[in-house]
Amino acid sequence: MECNQSLQTQAYLDGELDAAQSLQAEAHLESCAECQALAADHTDMKAIMAGATYHRASPELRARIGAALDGETKIVAMPAPGRKDRFWLGAGSGAGGMAIAAALAFFLFLPGNAVVVSDLAEAHQRSLVGEHLIDVASSDHHTVKPWFAGHSDVSPPAEDFKADGFTLVGGRADYVHGARAAVVVYRHGAHVINLFAWADRGQSLPSSGLRDGYRMILWKQNDLDLAAVSDVDPGELDHFVALVKKSQSRE
Amino acid sequence: MPHLDAATNLARWLTKGGAEADDIVQDAMLRAYRSFDGFRGEAVKPWLMTILRNCHRDMLEQKKRHAAAPLDDENQPPVAAEGPNPEGTAIQSGDNRLLDKAIAALPVEFREVVILRELEEMSYRDIATATGTPIGTVMSRLARGRALLKAELTGGAHGV
Repeated sequence: MECNQSLQTQAYLDGELDAAQSLQAEAHLESCAECQALAADHTDMKAIMAGATYHRASPELRARIGAALDGETKIVAMPAPGRKDRFWLGAGSGAGGMAIAAALAFFLFLPGNAVVVSDLAEAHQRSLVGEHLIDVASSDHHTVKPWFAGHSDVSPPAEDFKADGFTLVGGRADYVHGARAAVVVYRHGAHVINLFAWADRGQSLPSSGLRDGYRMILWKQNDLDLAAVSDVDPGELDHFVALVKKSQSRE
Repeated sequence: MPHLDAATNLARWLTKGGAEADDIVQDAMLRAYRSFDGFRGEAVKPWLMTILRNCHRDMLEQKKRHAAAPLDDENQPPVAAEGPNPEGTAIQSGDNRLLDKAIAALPVEFREVVILRELEEMSYRDIATATGTPIGTVMSRLARGRALLKAELTGGAHGV
């Protein structure tokens, strides 16, 4: 009694068939009373199901999960050396770009921690496309560092690492992660490195991030949240961060 | 958080509006977060739905272990229509209590494909991924689920 084409007809009605299969299904529909009834039911069901209850997450549940995830990321924020990159880049080690894109899409919507990654990437990109790369242009540590005193809440390290290939070119004030940030700008060959610093308010930070091709390394030091963002080679960024950390520890 | 509403919706329909739905959702989001390293799929939503179903299954097994008498999901009363979740925000137009009741009365394997297709508008392929069943099974369950639902709404009969 049941038409052996009914599942194919259903797939057609659900928009699951390609053009050639659709033509076949349409031809069949014209001559099969049973499938015509199925089509009518399908239309009815669509209208009926529009009235079914859709259970959305309550604000309480959203907040509860957000808090739980923040608890998770605190552990992630300070992993053993060498693990941090794997966590954030994870899929990058062997899987295709889709997995990476999906992974980032997932993480970037997470509360708190992921926001800082996207904030930094955006601030970095803004600095590259606009005129706003530098507010104070100087390769002199003694010019850049005092400038921040008048333009920023924090006094970031602003040492020149020219001998190591990282040239101090200036500084600017920016806004990141809901806070005023001081940004020290370096050049390494053709690449720009933005070193962001803002007051540590006890928030957890991811230890690294990758967005739109820009890598970032984040850490806490001397009551500051620091983040180096650039498209230089990963090894060079690590090198740069090591230099900054060393200079910071002398402050 | 992407797909949190979708996860919540499926959890509530799987548990028929049970209070444990929120715990399942939280469990699933945490598991997703932790296991993201190993994720190699293309689409996040079906992957998250798979995790959510596993969390639901684990919750049922835990319940079974704790309960003196085995508790079968299908023996739970259909309570979705009673709206026992005051904190949940539901979109409802007109008097759809009967409809919700009819959906809740569907056996779980049909209910979930109907929900994923009709409310989440997922493709057959994504539903197959989410439920760990072949596409052919998704198609036949969807057909049967729709037919059962129609029968439930028109005559109140359980068989078709």
